[in-house]
Amino acid sequence: MNEELRRIWKSFFDWVMGNGPRPENEVIPPEPPPDLPFTRKPKDKYSRFHEATLKERYNQWLEIHGLHLFSVLYAGLSVLTCIVIVSLLLATVAELPPFGHERNPANNEVIRRYVEHGGHETGAQNIVAGLILDYRAFDTFGESAVLFTAAVSVLMLLGASRRNRAESELQPHTYEIGRNFLQRGPPSLGHHVFRRDDTILHSVANLSIPVILMMGCVVVINGHLSPGGGFSGGAILSTALILAANAYGFERVHEFFNERTFIISSSTALMIYALSKGYSFFTGANHIHSIIPKGTIGNILSGGLILPLNLCVGLIVAGTLYGFYALFSEGDM
Amino acid sequence: MIRVIIGGVLIFAGLFVLGIATIGIFRFSTMLNRIHVAAKCDTLGALLVLSGLIVLSGFNVFSLKLALVIVFLWLCNPAASHLVARAEVKTNPNLEQICDFLDMTGEGEIKEC
Repeated sequence: MNEELRRIWKSFFDWVMGNGPRPENEVIPPEPPPDLPFTRKPKDKYSRFHEATLKERYNQWLEIHGLHLFSVLYAGLSVLTCIVIVSLLLATVAELPPFGHERNPANNEVIRRYVEHGGHETGAQNIVAGLILDYRAFDTFGESAVLFTAAVSVLMLLGASRRNRAESELQPHTYEIGRNFLQRGPPSLGHHVFRRDDTILHSVANLSIPVILMMGCVVVINGHLSPGGGFSGGAILSTALILAANAYGFERVHEFFNERTFIISSSTALMIYALSKGYSFFTGANHIHSIIPKGTIGNILSGGLILPLNLCVGLIVAGTLYGFYALFSEGDM
Repeated sequence: MIRVIIGGVLIFAGLFVLGIATIGIFRFSTMLNRIHVAAKCDTLGALLVLSGLIVLSGFNVFSLKLALVIVFLWLCNPAASHLVARAEVKTNPNLEQICDFLDMTGEGEIKEC
C-alpha cells in the first residue's frame, strides 16, 4: 500500500516537474545560442540612412573606450586620494604635542591623582589594574558584556542552522524525493577530521598545556600586583583550551567545557561583577562605609574587589575566545 | 669586557641567521621550501640572540627567564612548522607538480598526512 502510494506520488511529482516520459512526436525546439557575457552584439540598422543620435554615438564611444578610461581614472584617483590622506595625516602628526612633555594636555590633574593616590585608594600595586578595575570598572564591565554578547549571538546564529540541519535529517523520505530533482548531495557537515596520531603535536601539547594553564592562572590572579590581568590571562587560558582541542579533539574538551558550562560560568561571572561593583559604587557615591577591606599593598589578598573582578573577566574572556574558535571551526561548542 | 664581546658576537650571529631566513622566505617559491627556511633559521637565530642576551645579562633571574623563553621557542617552533607543513600537504591539490613525494607508506599513495 505504502509502496503504491509512493509510486503514484513519484509519477505525479515527475509530471509536475516536467521529467515524465515524453510523447514520441514531441518537437523539441533547438536551444538558442547562449548570451556570452562581455561580447559586443552587432547593431541592427533599421534603415539605410540611419542617423546616429548624439546619445547613441556617446554610447558607442563609451563601449569602446569606457573601460580604458575608467581604469586610468581609477588609478589616478587612488593615487590622488593616497597623497591627500598621507599628507593630511603627516600634517596632523606634526601638530601633535611632543611625547612625554610636561606641558602636554594629557598631563593633567587626573594623572596626578591616579599616580599619587591610586595606591591607597584602590589598594592595588599595579596602577593600571586599579584604574581599569576600580576607577573605571563600569567600562571594563561593558567590555566583558560586549564579548559575552558577541559569543552568545554567534552561538544563537550557528545553533539555529544546526537545529535546521537536525530537522532535515529527521525526514529522510521527503529529502529523498527532493534530491532526485535538485541533484543535491547530502548537506556537508563541515566537520574537521582530527587525526589523533599526530605524535609531534601530542607530545608538545602534553608538555606545554599545563605550563600555559599555570601561566594564565598566575597572570589572572596577580593582576593587581604585576602587569597582566583578566583580559590577558583569559587569552592565555583560551590558547591552552584551543591547543587541547586541536591536539586531543574537540570531544575531549567538550567533557569539561561545553556550551552549558560556558553560558553558566560567563553569566555568573558577569552577574558577580555587576553586583559587587554596583555595591562598591553605591557605597562610595553615598559616603557609606564599605565592608570590602583594602588590604596591605603588595599582598596577594589586597586591592579590594580587583582580584575577584579579575577572575570574572578572565573566565569570560577565556570562554569567549575558545568559544569563537570552536564555533567557527566546528560549528558547536 | 669579554662578556660583552661574546654576547655581541652571539647576537650578531643570530641576526645574520635571521636575515638569511628573511631573504630565503622571499627567494623560495613554494610553501614547503619557505617553511624549511623559516623554521630552521628562526629556531637557530632565536637561540643565538637569546643566548647572547643571557651572556650579556649574567647569571640572574632575568637570564633564567630568557632560558625559559628558549625552551618554549624550541618546543613550539618545530611543532608549529610541522602543523603548517601538514596543512599544506593536506590541502594543496597540485603538490605532485612542485615536489617529489617521499613514499613513506610503501603503497605509492598518500591519502592524508
